Amino acid sequence: MRIPDESDFPSRLRSAAVTARVGLWLGFCFAICFVTGLISHYAQNADHPVPFPTSPAWGYRVTQGLHVITGTAAVPLLLVKLWTVYPRLFRRPERDVRRLLLDVAERGSIAVLVASAVFQLATGLANAAQWYPWAFSFRSAHYATAWVAIGALVVHVAVKLPIIRGALGADVDDTTYDRPAADRPGVLGRRGLLRATWLSAGVAVLATAGSTVPWLRQVSVLGVRSGDGPAGIPINKSAVAAGVTASATSADYRLLLVHGDRQVALSRADLLAMPQSTQTLPIACVEGWSASGTWSGVRVRDLLDLVDGPRGTDVLVTSLQQSGPYTTTVLHGNFADDDRTLLALALEGEPLALDHGFPARVIAPDRPGVLQTKWVGRIEVPT
Amino acid sequence: MTRIVIGAVGVALAAYGGWLLLTRGHDLLGLDGVVAWLAAGVVLHDGVLAVLTIVLAGVALRLAPTAARAPLAVGFVVLGPLTLLAVPVLGRFGARADNPTLLDRDYTAGWLALAGLTALAVVVASLVRSRRRGR
Repeated sequence: MRIPDESDFPSRLRSAAVTARVGLWLGFCFAICFVTGLISHYAQNADHPVPFPTSPAWGYRVTQGLHVITGTAAVPLLLVKLWTVYPRLFRRPERDVRRLLLDVAERGSIAVLVASAVFQLATGLANAAQWYPWAFSFRSAHYATAWVAIGALVVHVAVKLPIIRGALGADVDDTTYDRPAADRPGVLGRRGLLRATWLSAGVAVLATAGSTVPWLRQVSVLGVRSGDGPAGIPINKSAVAAGVTASATSADYRLLLVHGDRQVALSRADLLAMPQSTQTLPIACVEGWSASGTWSGVRVRDLLDLVDGPRGTDVLVTSLQQSGPYTTTVLHGNFADDDRTLLALALEGEPLALDHGFPARVIAPDRPGVLQTKWVGRIEVPT
Repeated sequence: MTRIVIGAVGVALAAYGGWLLLTRGHDLLGLDGVVAWLAAGVVLHDGVLAVLTIVLAGVALRLAPTAARAPLAVGFVVLGPLTLLAVPVLGRFGARADNPTLLDRDYTAGWLALAGLTALAVVVASLVRSRRRGR
C-alpha cells in the first residue's frame, strides 16, 4: 500500500469554500467555549481580585450550559471541517527552502490546533459524563489546553485570512480556491453538505441539551441526566461517596460558627427555629447540567451576624466531608452578604435529602455547583 | 501587517497555554498523561476515523443504488458524529452505584431510536428520489 497523494481526493466537496463556512461556525463555538470556560474557571477560583457578580442568579447556569452546548455542537462541525481538509495532509513537500520552512511551520501549527481541539472536545464530553480515564487533573489541563487551542486557532485564522475572506465572499460553488485535483462532483452538492452539517450539529445539541434546558428533557435521549432526583433535582456527589452518612445524620450534629474567639454551635433544630427565607435558585454544575429549585433555610448573613462577622468579608465554609478539593470553600464577601444566599435546610418544601446536603447546605445565586457546599459543619469568618 | 499582528497574538495565547501545561504540575507523560491524550486525538482522527470514513464511503458507493447515495451521506454526517459524542454515555463509564441520578437514561435505546429515525429518513428520501428519477 502506498501513501496517498492529494490528487487521490477528487471530490469537489473537500474545498476551501465548504471549509471556510463550517470553520466560521466552528470558530464561533470555540470562542463561546473559551469565554464561558474562562468565566467558569474564574468563578471557581478562591481568589477574586474582581468580585464575581451575584446577579443574575441564572448567570452561571447560562454560561456553563452554553459552554457544554457549543462544545457538543463543535463535534460534528470539527469532524466535517477536518474531512474537507484531509487531502491537505498528503500535499507534496515544497522544493524551495523558504517555502518548505513555512510549510513545516504551518503543519506544526495545524497539528497543535487539531490536537488541542480534539483534546478539549474529548475531555469535555468525558467530564460531562463524569468519566475520567486519565491521570491528569481535568480542570487545570482543560484550562491550560484551552489557551493552546484558542491561540492555535487565532494563528490559523491569521495564516488563512485571505482564503477565508475570499471563500466567504464568493458563492459556495465558486472554484477559485479549489485544489486542482478536486474536479469530481460529490454525491451531495456543497449546499447539501453544509445543510447536513448544520442538521448534525442541531441534532447533537437537541439530543444532549436537556440536562440543562428543562423543556428539552423529553427529546435529549443522550443527555447525561434526565433531571430526576430527590425533590426533582439531580445530585453530583452522594453522601455515601463523600463518606458523611454517619456524621450528617448524627444527633450530635452542630453547625459551628467561628469568628476569632467567638463561637456559636447550632443544631438543626436551632437553625429551623431561626427566621427562614425561601429562594428559587438554580444549582448549576461545572459539568454543565443544571436545575432550578426552591430552597428554604437561614440567610448566611443572619448566621454571620450571630458571631459579629463584618460585612464584605470572605468566609470559609467547611463540609463534614473528610477529604476532597472542595471540602473547604471560600464564600466571597459579596455572596455571603447577598440576601438570597442561604444555608438551606429544605428543598421544594421537604427536608433536605441526605444526598442534597442534609442537615444543611449552602445555596447562593450565580455560582458553580461545586462551591454550593453540602453537609456544612463549620462557617468561619477569618480574622 | 494585520495578519502578522493576529498571528503574534495567537502565538502568545498558545504559548501561555503551553507554559501553564509545563509549570502547573500536570501529569504530562505516560500512557494516561496530557501529551499522550493530545497525540492520540490526532492519530485516532487522521489514522483511524478519516480512513474508516473513506472505506465506508467506498463501500456505500459500490453497494447503494444511485438514488440512495445522497440520503446515505446526510445520514452518515448526522449519525456518525452523534455516535462518537455519545461514547461516554453509551459506555456508562462514569456510572456510580451510589448515584442513581447520573447517567440515568437508557442510552442504548436512545441511540437506537435516533439511528432508527435516521435510517427511516434515509429510506424515505431514497424512495422519493428514485420515484422522481423514474418519471
